[in-house]
Amino acid sequence: MTAIWTEKYRPSKFSELVGQDNIVKRVEALTGSMNIPHMLIAGPAGTGKSSMAVIIVKELYKENWKDNYLELNASDERGINVVREKVKNFARTKSLGNVPFKIIFLDEADALTPEAQQALRRTMENYSATCRFILSCNYSSKVIDPIQSRCAIFKFKLLEKKDIEKVIARISEKEKLTIGPEAIEILYEGCEGDCRRCINILQSTSSISPSITPELISTIISNTKPKDIKVVLDYAISGDFQKAKEKLLDIMLKESISGQDVIKAIQKEIWNLPVEPTIKVKLTEKTGEAEFRIVEGSDPFIQLQALLASFVLAGLGKE
Amino acid sequence: MSTWTEKYRPKTFDEIKGQDEAIFKIKLFLKNFGKKKRAIILYGPPGAGKTSLAHATARENNSEIFELNASDLRNKQKLNEILRPAIEQKSLEKENKIILVDEVDGISEYDYGGLSELLRIIETTPYPMIITANDIWSKKFSALRKKCELLPLNEINHEIVTKVVKDISQKENISITDDLTTELIIKSKGDLRAAINDLQTLSKLKDFFAIILDERNKETDIFNALRKVFKEKPTNELLGVFDSVNMSTDDLILWLEENIPAEYKGEELAKAYNLLSKTDVFRGRVYKQQYWRFLVYENIFLSYGIAASKKIAKPGFTAYQKPSRILQIWLNNQKTIYKKSICEKYAQHVHISQKKAMYDFPIIKQVIKSNPLIQKELKLEEEEIAYLNYKV
Repeated sequence: MTAIWTEKYRPSKFSELVGQDNIVKRVEALTGSMNIPHMLIAGPAGTGKSSMAVIIVKELYKENWKDNYLELNASDERGINVVREKVKNFARTKSLGNVPFKIIFLDEADALTPEAQQALRRTMENYSATCRFILSCNYSSKVIDPIQSRCAIFKFKLLEKKDIEKVIARISEKEKLTIGPEAIEILYEGCEGDCRRCINILQSTSSISPSITPELISTIISNTKPKDIKVVLDYAISGDFQKAKEKLLDIMLKESISGQDVIKAIQKEIWNLPVEPTIKVKLTEKTGEAEFRIVEGSDPFIQLQALLASFVLAGLGKE
Repeated sequence: MSTWTEKYRPKTFDEIKGQDEAIFKIKLFLKNFGKKKRAIILYGPPGAGKTSLAHATARENNSEIFELNASDLRNKQKLNEILRPAIEQKSLEKENKIILVDEVDGISEYDYGGLSELLRIIETTPYPMIITANDIWSKKFSALRKKCELLPLNEINHEIVTKVVKDISQKENISITDDLTTELIIKSKGDLRAAINDLQTLSKLKDFFAIILDERNKETDIFNALRKVFKEKPTNELLGVFDSVNMSTDDLILWLEENIPAEYKGEELAKAYNLLSKTDVFRGRVYKQQYWRFLVYENIFLSYGIAASKKIAKPGFTAYQKPSRILQIWLNNQKTIYKKSICEKYAQHVHISQKKAMYDFPIIKQVIKSNPLIQKELKLEEEEIAYLNYKV
């Protein structure tokens, strides 16, 4: 038994999956027929994609499920060759039990480059007799068409408050937590519809006290946000470029956050800056341009510094 | 392996370097204890020696030290449970007792009533209290400031940091060049703990010294080139200014990035950085499309372009710095090596990618840290657990 709640309370039956009722019904029917197509599950983080994959496997193979199931994470398994090698080794042996195929779950498939996806497509074809693939991704648009056309596509939606509430209620009961509506509201807003994040915040908070107050939740959530981006912008707006730059690098290194995450935080923080409305629009435009250049360029930190330099100008009232 | 900051932590007043005035004042505070204030706040930048000074004080006075620091939750109830008994009981082994409340500015929003309870304890404590903080001037501390003597500690001056660093290098038997020492010292900005930590990290990489030395030779050329770009008016000859510098465009960008703010301000700064940003965009296009002619534009932006970003020629001498970002990234990678290994184990265990675990680390860390069962479940090594508990 695990002590990590995200695992402990991972849904293990179709009926425990929240928020995706229609999809769950269809998939349950497919699974019941003991034959499933290749599947592509698209949807935001923490909505139950991996959980559903595991449930399908458990339903199909019952206690033998571990022998018939391979889980790979595309964003960690660098290079398609690793994937191919592992797939090959796994698919070489026949499945156990009365289901004629094994299942490979490839998580975060959209992290593969288009070239790697082309290669994956061949692999899918070569082993289709012995293996079914379940792919998951955040955006189905990042998966190439040939793969999409080979899969049944299921689009998961962001969890709503009532869904998250169900999960919180289940855990609170088992773990003997007390939590009021106000705290739930804050928790829901803080996790942005991501159930895994919600459970992590809940466990993290409960390690301090079993009575979950709105204040506790807020404190924990504010500890998890990329901090101090505001400080960086304050330095820049007040004209201290050097300090802004140092602080930015410090944050990026210490919290290992990417350039794109920083841009996201900056874009939100602009609205809290003490500058004229027209300047806010101008800065947002600059931020958008910087984000574009990060995608095009090769060193996000250069782009962020250039952006800070234009914030310095805005602070001087020159732009 | 113990950290050098602990291993070489000064134990007596004699061993504490560069804080003579503070030592004098703290002695005075103890001598007059009971007559005036009952607590003293040592405040100053990180690594100035606040905690060391408190511990040395206890040692010099043959006192037991009772320590409460940021890792203990310090709300009213906790203070009553822990601190109250401490001030009500006599020391068993030593004649005296000193109460140390470390990092008081860490008392946070969820230490309900902690601060006011601390004030009440100060009023009645029969033992001298030492409180440390980085910054004591926020409004919530105004009552505390009135109740305590204030003793500012300055950052430790360069010469002393240098001496300590050299001392430790000698004792640990590592050879470190003077240049590298200087670099460490400048980077530490008077934070002795940071300097010692960096030294320990550096000592683990043997090749590092060789790399540094190799870079030295290139420096004279690049300094001259930078001077031309930043100081002079743009001329067509400037287009070839980096030809004689034996460096890749990647390195040039780092050098320019480091030194633009030293010369340019305001509009000039924004213009120059905009060109640097465009150079980077072209660099990305070269990689992605393998179309090498784009290098021409990179070169023009970096030389003539940045030179033309200034309104007037810049007279005078400017001391250019070598790029610090790579060193910083490298040092940081060494420091976060355990973060990575923890995330690797965690990610595999809960079926997510390592990347996602790294991204969510602040919250995952809290979950793992507070539960030894989970640490066992993930089969964390001792070093990894220590990393979780280390206050950064």
